Amino acid sequence: MGFKSLSVAAALIVSCITTTSALAEYPEKKIDMIVGFAAGGGTDVMARNIAPYLEKYLGNGVSVVVKNMPGASGQIGITAVAEADPDGYTIGTYNLPGAMARTLDRNADYDADSFTYLANIVNDPNVIVTPKSSDIDTMDKLVEAAKARSGAVTVAMSSLGGDDHFFLQKLSSATGADYITVPFSGSAPARSALMGGHVTMGIINVSEVVNFRDELNVLGIASKERSNMAEDIPTFQEQGYDLVNGSLRGFVAPAGLPDDVESKLLAAFQQTYDDPDFQTAMRKSGNPTELALGDDFEALNAEQLELAKQIWETQPWK
Amino acid sequence: MYGNLIDALPAVLSLGNIFAVVIGVIAGICVGALPGLSATMAISVLIPFTFGMDPLVALGMMAGIYNGAMYGGSIPAVLLRIPGTPAAVATSFDGYPMAQQGRGGYALQVAVVSSALGGIASALVLMLLAPPLAKVTLLFGPTEIFWVAVFGMSAIVFLLGGDIIKGLISAAFGVFVSLIGVDTITGYERYTFGHLELLDGINIVVLLVGLYALPPAIGLLEEVRDFDTQNTGRLNTTSIWKAIPSMLKYWKTWLRSSVIGVFVGILPGAGGSMAAFLSYNEARRASKNPEDWGKGEPEGVAASETSNNADTAAALIPALTLGIPGTAVAAVMLGGLLIHGLQPGPMLFRDNPEIVFGFMWQFLFAAILLIFLGGALATNSFAQVLRLPRPLLGAIIIALVFIGVYSINNRMFDVYLMLGFGLIGYFMDKLKFPLPPVVLGLILGGFAEQNLRLALRIGGGDWSILASSPTAKVLIAMVLLVIVSPIISRRLRARKASKKVAA
Repeated sequence: MGFKSLSVAAALIVSCITTTSALAEYPEKKIDMIVGFAAGGGTDVMARNIAPYLEKYLGNGVSVVVKNMPGASGQIGITAVAEADPDGYTIGTYNLPGAMARTLDRNADYDADSFTYLANIVNDPNVIVTPKSSDIDTMDKLVEAAKARSGAVTVAMSSLGGDDHFFLQKLSSATGADYITVPFSGSAPARSALMGGHVTMGIINVSEVVNFRDELNVLGIASKERSNMAEDIPTFQEQGYDLVNGSLRGFVAPAGLPDDVESKLLAAFQQTYDDPDFQTAMRKSGNPTELALGDDFEALNAEQLELAKQIWETQPWK
Repeated sequence: MYGNLIDALPAVLSLGNIFAVVIGVIAGICVGALPGLSATMAISVLIPFTFGMDPLVALGMMAGIYNGAMYGGSIPAVLLRIPGTPAAVATSFDGYPMAQQGRGGYALQVAVVSSALGGIASALVLMLLAPPLAKVTLLFGPTEIFWVAVFGMSAIVFLLGGDIIKGLISAAFGVFVSLIGVDTITGYERYTFGHLELLDGINIVVLLVGLYALPPAIGLLEEVRDFDTQNTGRLNTTSIWKAIPSMLKYWKTWLRSSVIGVFVGILPGAGGSMAAFLSYNEARRASKNPEDWGKGEPEGVAASETSNNADTAAALIPALTLGIPGTAVAAVMLGGLLIHGLQPGPMLFRDNPEIVFGFMWQFLFAAILLIFLGGALATNSFAQVLRLPRPLLGAIIIALVFIGVYSINNRMFDVYLMLGFGLIGYFMDKLKFPLPPVVLGLILGGFAEQNLRLALRIGGGDWSILASSPTAKVLIAMVLLVIVSPIISRRLRARKASKKVAA
C-alpha cells in the first residue's frame, strides 16, 4: 500500500515535471515556414534546403513545413507572416530590397516594425553583363557609351523596384549618365533578350551568370569582395565605382516573439549556417551565402529601407 | 554529344526510372483530364516531394506528367466540350462534335496517337538539335515576339465565329482581362481595385475553367431527366491498333503541326495553347474541305493534339541550354532541376550529362508510353465516365474545379474569381458569344502589348525598330501574307465566276 501510493506520487511528480518542461520547451508542434513564391523558385529552394537543418537544430522532433503563398512578388506571403501570431510557429522568407520597397510603392499592410528579424542567409550581388557579341566589355566603355548619347544604353531587368532596379539607380548617379530601363516580367525573358543582343546591357545576379560565362561578358560585381563563385570577376570598387548592391534572402517571424523562442531560433539558424552540409547544398543550388543574424539583420533591413526611400524620393519608379 | 546520349540510356532503363515515367504519364493523363488541374500545377505540387528522390526519378515523373497532361486535356474536351487544360481548347472544336456523332472513341484515339507522335518528334528534336535551336530562340527579342503575337491573332481570325461583332466583343473581353494587374513597364496597377491577388494578373486556368468548365457543368445539372445513359456511354471504339491505319492519311498534318509545336515551344513565353490554335488553323487552311472543320473533322483533333505535345520537350531546349523556359511548365521544371542542384546552362551538359541526356530519353519514352497507357485508358476507362447520371457528373466536375482552382495559389480569391467568370461564361453561352476569342485575347493580347512596349522602349520610342531585324521582316511578310491572301483568292474566285457567267 505504502509502496503503491509512493509510486503514484512519484508518477504524479514525474508527469508534473514533464508537462511543465514541455510547456517551456519550444518547439512543441510543427512550424509553418511561409514562402512568398511558388515552389521551385530561388527563395523556395532556399527554404526547402534550410528546413531539415532547422528541424535538426531546434530538436524535439519538430517538423518545419514549407507553405507556398505566391503572389504580388512575395507581398502576400510577407503580409501573412506579419499578421501571424508571434509564437514562433510561423516564420517566413523575406526578400530585400523588395519587401521594404513594397512599403513605399504600394499600400502594404506591414512595415519594418512588423517583424522579428531572424537571419539573412543569401546575399546574391548584382553583376553588369553585356551580350558576347557586344563590343562594350569593360566598365569604361559602358560609361563612355552611356555618356555619348542619352538613351543609347538600354538595360534589361526583371522588374521595377527590385535589387536590379536599385542597382541601376546607383550606377546612374555614380557614373553621371542616363540609362533606359527595359523592365521585363521576370528574369527569363530579360536574359533571352540579353543573350540575343536585343538590349545593350543587363543587370542580373552573380548566381545567374556563373553557368553562362561563355555567353555573356561580365563587367563587374557589386560586392565588397570578389565572389567565391566567380573569383575572376572584378568588383566595381576595384574599378573605381563605389557600387555595392544585391538581392538578399532571409527569414523573419512576426514582431513580438517571446525572448526564449527568439534566441532558440537564432541559435538554430546559426548552427544551420555553420553546418558544412548545408553550405554545400546552398552552393549546389547556386545560392551565395552571407549570414546576418538577429540585430545585424535588422540593421541591414533598416539600411535597405533607407536606400529604397532615398531612391523613391528622388527617382520614383512609378 | 551523341555519345553522351547513348551513355545515358542504361540508367534511364533501370526499373525504378521506367516506373517513374509510367507513373508520371498516368498521373499526367488524370491531371490533364480533370478541368482545373494543369501540368504546371501538378509539377509544382510534385517538386517538394522530389526533394529526397534520385534526380532521374523526379525528372522522369515530370516528363511523364507533362506529356500525359497534354493528351489528358483532350479527354473532357472531346467528351464534354470542357478542355482539361488551356492547350486542349482547339481540340474541342472538332472533338466534341465527333463525340456527339458517336465517334468520340475515334476522336480520342486520333488524339492519343497524334499526342504521342508530337511528343516523339519533340523529344527527338530536343535530343538531336538542342544547341542550334537554342540559337533560334535568341533571335526573338521583344520586337520579334510582338510580331509572332500579331501573326497569331491575324491567323486565327476565323475563331471569331459566324457573328463577327460578337466574336470581336469576346476577343476584346479577353484583351481586357489581360490588362488586369501591374503594368510591368510603368509599375502602375491596372483594374486591381487594391487587391493584392490581382497584381500578377489573372491566371489563365482561372479564366478557362470559369468560362469553359462551369457553364457545361451547370448544363449537366439542368438535365434532370434521366435519359438513356447506356447508349451515350458507348464510344463506339475499335481496338487502337485497328484504328491506326485509318489515321495514316493525317501524316501531313502530323508533320506540319509538329514543326509548329516545336517552333512555338522554343519561343520564350508562348505555350501549348498558342501552338494548338496556330496548327489547327494552318491545318484547316491546307485542308480540301475547310467547311467541314468545326463540325467533327478528325484532322482538327490531330492538328491540335500533335502540336500541343510537340511543344513539350521543345520548351526545354532554351530552358536547359540557356535557362530560358519556353513555357510555364518548363519554368516550373527548371525549379525541379534547381532543387536537385542542377543549374541550367552549358555547364549542366558538361557536369551532369547522364542526367540531362537521361531526361531527354525520358521525354521520348513518355511520348511512346502515351500510346499504350493513353490508348488503353481512353478506349476503356474514360468512356465509363459518361455513363454517370448527368447531374452527378456535373456536381463532380464542379467539386474538382473548386479544388483545382484553389490549389493554384492556395487561396479562395481565385475560386471567387472563377465563379465570376463562370457567370459571364454562362451568359455568353446562352447569348451565343464565342468563347475561343476570349482565351486568345488573354494570351496573345497581353503578349503583344507588353512586347510592343518593350520594343519601343528599346528603340527609344522610334517605331522603325519594329522592322529593324531580318527576323522581324520575315514575320511582317508572313502577317501580310495571311491577311492579303484570302482577299486575293476571293477576288480571283469572283473573277472566275463572273467570266463563267459572261461565257
